[in-house]
Amino acid sequence: MTDHRTFVLITGAALALSSAALGEEWTPKRLSDGQPNVQGFYRPEIAGTYSLVRPRRGVGVRDQEEYDKRKAANDVSKSRIVDPPDRQVPYQLWARAKQQALEAVVLNWTQPEHIDPQARCDPDGVTRTIFWTQDFEIRQYPGYVVFLEDQNHTSRVIPLDGRPHIPDQIKLWMADSRGHWEGTTLVVDVTNDNAKHRLSNEGDFSSDKVHIVEKYIFTGPNSFRLEQRYEDPSVYTRPWTLASEFTRAHANQPGYELWFNECQEGERDVEHLYHGDKTKPY
Amino acid sequence: MMRRLSAGTLARALRPAVAALARASGSVLALLAFAQAGAAWAETGAVLPRAANGKPDFSGLWQTLSTADWDIEPHAARKDAPAGLGVVVGGEIPYQTWAAEKRRENFEKRDALDPRGKCYLPGLPRANYSPYPFQIFQADGDLTLLYEYAHTARRIYTNGSAHPKGHIDWWLGDSRGHWEGDTLVVDVVDFNEETWFDHSGNFHSDALHLVEHYSFIDPDHIRYEVTIEDPKVFTRPWSIDLVLYRHVEKNFQLLEYECYTFDHERFYP
Repeated sequence: MTDHRTFVLITGAALALSSAALGEEWTPKRLSDGQPNVQGFYRPEIAGTYSLVRPRRGVGVRDQEEYDKRKAANDVSKSRIVDPPDRQVPYQLWARAKQQALEAVVLNWTQPEHIDPQARCDPDGVTRTIFWTQDFEIRQYPGYVVFLEDQNHTSRVIPLDGRPHIPDQIKLWMADSRGHWEGTTLVVDVTNDNAKHRLSNEGDFSSDKVHIVEKYIFTGPNSFRLEQRYEDPSVYTRPWTLASEFTRAHANQPGYELWFNECQEGERDVEHLYHGDKTKPY
Repeated sequence: MMRRLSAGTLARALRPAVAALARASGSVLALLAFAQAGAAWAETGAVLPRAANGKPDFSGLWQTLSTADWDIEPHAARKDAPAGLGVVVGGEIPYQTWAAEKRRENFEKRDALDPRGKCYLPGLPRANYSPYPFQIFQADGDLTLLYEYAHTARRIYTNGSAHPKGHIDWWLGDSRGHWEGDTLVVDVVDFNEETWFDHSGNFHSDALHLVEHYSFIDPDHIRYEVTIEDPKVFTRPWSIDLVLYRHVEKNFQLLEYECYTFDHERFYP
């Protein structure tokens, strides 16, 4: 009993130290399985999935001239990429060429493969989903963290029990996640990504060999910083890291309910999208 | 189920007597009989999983073994369906005359018309007996049900809240539940009329009203009973009754059945 109490005191002190280092005083409530309770709705500081590098590039751009203007007006100072220092995705030469080719036809597509799979309601993968969704809820259950997104009724189930990843032969749109808590940081190891989705509207991509390590760093009761480290030697010259701040949403709306949105179920233009009919621009 | 539980209770009550008898007589046989009875209690759910609030805890991964997804009525095997005894209580759905005719047409054109063929959300109760696993996450005020099929997601509120002001057209309706003893009772309304009950053309209108009952048979089996009401289509309420089996495989988890993306490579060669 005494040993246990000492352990708790030392752990508590360590937690207090790390909180102090972050300039935050935050002692989370604990759930029955020991997880810090971080449940609720959150929103990204900058929402939208048009661009990794220029996330404020904005919505509603429909012609190339406006696209170029917006791009010029938004430098990389708000880039979601915090490493490498130039704040760009460190593509290998062939991969940069592919990304640029995809970006060039985003508004001027002539082939079905030019269309961003997001427009077909395909699941967006772990990065794009969290920035695209309107309502994003974190729920915790014994041994699990669950992310629920209203958009496309997508979800992520993250086991915390240390089980191995699923076999390599299986690739998933929303990949395979394994998590554990380090203090008030949720660390999630992500593999088995089918990589059929893109990382932005500008044609950013990875391969299905990508390994993503996510850190959800809860910096206080109402905020977290997300860091995602992308490693994929088949596409990038080095690993790169994306970071973004999230704050609590609907905090003053007790009883607020997550209502899941359908996407492909209501998509009346899907036939045209699928067949690349240019008379039906999306 | 009640009778089996009562037998378990009786056996438990007799436990000291059996033990005393075994001690007194030194009878190995009596001890064996007791051990067998003990195993039977475990199987009949004498110890059900319970949440911290004392309610039965349905958390876990579940799936039907029935062939209801192909046809909820009793049916022999055919080219596109395995045989099944059916899950409709009484064996027959009480369609209004016009609706029976429509169902016949649906059946004839089922390959083209089944909304599941377009990978639309499956509706209810079909989601619960589709041949894919689903996972229940239970909290104090709600249950979240995530299905392997097309990332179908559903929430059942058990916090005393009422249905929102309707009518709202939803693929999965709006679910508000409450506990009656150890049974979760869920009232579901606000459906659209786009989904079928099965691949055999059994259908409903947007007036569909479900009352679901979830109760443990034992820790690894849920009895799932649903009363189905739709005055636009049926002559009276009817019900289905089936069993959900817990996945007990080590490290079992949901994967994905993202059927609307199966043609992806055609468009992204």
